[in-house]
Amino acid sequence: MELFRLEHKKLWRKNSTRICVLLCLLYCVGVGSFLVYQWTIYGSAKENYGGRNFDGYENIRSCQDYSRKYEVLTDETLQEWVRNFKNLYAQLEEDRKMYGKENLETVHKVGNSDLHTVNGWLRTLYPELERPDMLGVTVMSDYVETEKLIGLYERRDKAVDTFLEINNQTGAERDYLLRINEKVQEPFSWKWTEGWSNILGNTVSGLGTVMALFLAVVLSALFAGEWHDNTSPLLLTTKNGWKKLAAAKIQTGIAFTLELFTMVAAGTIVLQLVFLGTEGWDMPIQMVKMIAIAPMNMLQAEIYEFAFTLLGAIGYAGVVMLFSAFCKNHVAALLFSLAAAYGPMTIHNRVPVFMEKVFDLLPLVGSGADVFRTNTFHFFGHYIWSPYLLIWVPFVIGVLCLFPAVRGWARRMRV
Amino acid sequence: MELSVDRLTKQYGRKLAVDCVSTVLKPGVYGLLGENGAGKTTLMRMICAILESTSGEVFLDGREVTSLGADYRDLLGYLPQDFGYYPNYTAQEFLLYMAALKGIPRSMARKRTKELLEVVGLNDAAAKKLKTFSGGMKQRVGIAQALLNQPKILILDEPTAGLDPKERVRFRNLISDYAAGRIVILSTHIVSDIEAIADEVLLMKKGKLVLQGTVSGLTKQAEGKVWELAVSPAEAKIWQEKAAVANLRHEGEQVVLRILSDSKPAEEAVSCEAALEDLYLYSMHG
Repeated sequence: MELFRLEHKKLWRKNSTRICVLLCLLYCVGVGSFLVYQWTIYGSAKENYGGRNFDGYENIRSCQDYSRKYEVLTDETLQEWVRNFKNLYAQLEEDRKMYGKENLETVHKVGNSDLHTVNGWLRTLYPELERPDMLGVTVMSDYVETEKLIGLYERRDKAVDTFLEINNQTGAERDYLLRINEKVQEPFSWKWTEGWSNILGNTVSGLGTVMALFLAVVLSALFAGEWHDNTSPLLLTTKNGWKKLAAAKIQTGIAFTLELFTMVAAGTIVLQLVFLGTEGWDMPIQMVKMIAIAPMNMLQAEIYEFAFTLLGAIGYAGVVMLFSAFCKNHVAALLFSLAAAYGPMTIHNRVPVFMEKVFDLLPLVGSGADVFRTNTFHFFGHYIWSPYLLIWVPFVIGVLCLFPAVRGWARRMRV
Repeated sequence: MELSVDRLTKQYGRKLAVDCVSTVLKPGVYGLLGENGAGKTTLMRMICAILESTSGEVFLDGREVTSLGADYRDLLGYLPQDFGYYPNYTAQEFLLYMAALKGIPRSMARKRTKELLEVVGLNDAAAKKLKTFSGGMKQRVGIAQALLNQPKILILDEPTAGLDPKERVRFRNLISDYAAGRIVILSTHIVSDIEAIADEVLLMKKGKLVLQGTVSGLTKQAEGKVWELAVSPAEAKIWQEKAAVANLRHEGEQVVLRILSDSKPAEEAVSCEAALEDLYLYSMHG
């Protein structure tokens, strides 16, 4: 325990560790959360759409107020939303004709109305109502015939079915996915959705990609740094030698990963609570993506994505420590570690589907946002919905890396 | 306690770094002498069991040291030649870290660290980061870490490198006090350090152990082989090329040479008292 405490202290004493943690927090919490909430995504639109104001906090409240009245998603509330939107849009047009410019207040109301989400639903559930000649001219909710927006949940079931068919997911696989889908409870409660959409689609699911960089920088020197510091003759002649030291280093690597994750997650969650509050936590994730099959609400999905990031980060820490133990040069260990994460990420979309799925299982390469997808893995006649595997396999890979890391380090330490 | 080195050999490719060295070491201070590349560091590393030998073994009281594992390491204190350290650690933190590696309980480690920092004259710098230390200060931290576990076998590779004369005296006194009942092996180029504290000297040349004995015993071997000869500066240059000159000093117009030779090198040469350094140089020259 004492050795772990001192090893941990040694890691935190390094300037590189402190700088990495600071940058990681600045990027994930400062840029990725605070600026997104207050300015870049949720700030109100400036006149003539010339950027956004630094007023996200107030603007988010307006957005939440706008959607609160609908409460539950039904044919009636969807129609009501479309009617309200058409009125707002008509008002914009009128202002444009009369005054030559749009009324900024109306622009804000349109922007605060879950515009992108609802238009996403319309395109998914009512594809026959979409006019190809209007693509890129206006949004679907501007021209769609309100009275034709009926049978929402039946259409959703059909859309899921069609999607699976297009995706070539048929037979037992289709049945398996539809069984999961059956557990989705209807009707859906409806609060402001776009805040949650960004949290689950970008903020939390993107944390791992950023953390990988800083974990690699800090942990690649954990074992390999001993070569740089030329301490191996000292370490090898001590009673606890490499064995307990290796264990202390692994504990330190995992502790650091937990600490970095905790700091990033805590910062992200605090800002989420400050800016968005808890409203809408019980909405189903289908409000973000209609054809998602997971019977999860927003909070459950967020917990999944955080758990995915944590377990992926621990798995990745194991991979980095493996490279660190096998390389005598910590720069080489860093490059291998970065390649292990960012290499597969970069070529992910350029490889066959089979390889894509394998890459997804690598630590921090896949995405927690798979809860919105219908991907499966096929093992010995059994189908497994991808999020079940994606959360555990990277962690197991990391743990399995630790054994050869200790053995490899011990072997290489012999001078 | 008896540390036996039995036909220890280390070969790197075609080069024999240590060539079939055998010796028996009992409690006392052993000075390991030899020129650069003689195999001193390689021999010490093999005795520490951090370098595998090509052949031969090291035994502690009849048991092969690698089989003793942690029990052997628990008896060992080692200061490597290129002493590695953690630049962002303070001297105290570094010693506490090494103490934890040596399995010393925390409270004991704190006490030992404080004592040793005082012993090596670093108590005022205990809270300073190692990266701010001079070479001599780092070397003293290295000596302190080697002594942390009060080792029964202390192996110091060039411990006085970088130490100023005052610190060298302090170090010599420290080792003399410490050595009772323990095996201390130290290598150095500074023959006077070995002369001052070593009970026995091991002289290595090209991987072989060429001489072993007490300082006085070995010095006796050089008696009758050390000569002083006063010559002109021009002749001095010729003598330096044709004989083993241990030293030269200017006295007025003349240069007094200290020549190592089995026989009287010149009629005017005068026999003088031998020192360990003379034997060392004589052996290296031969």
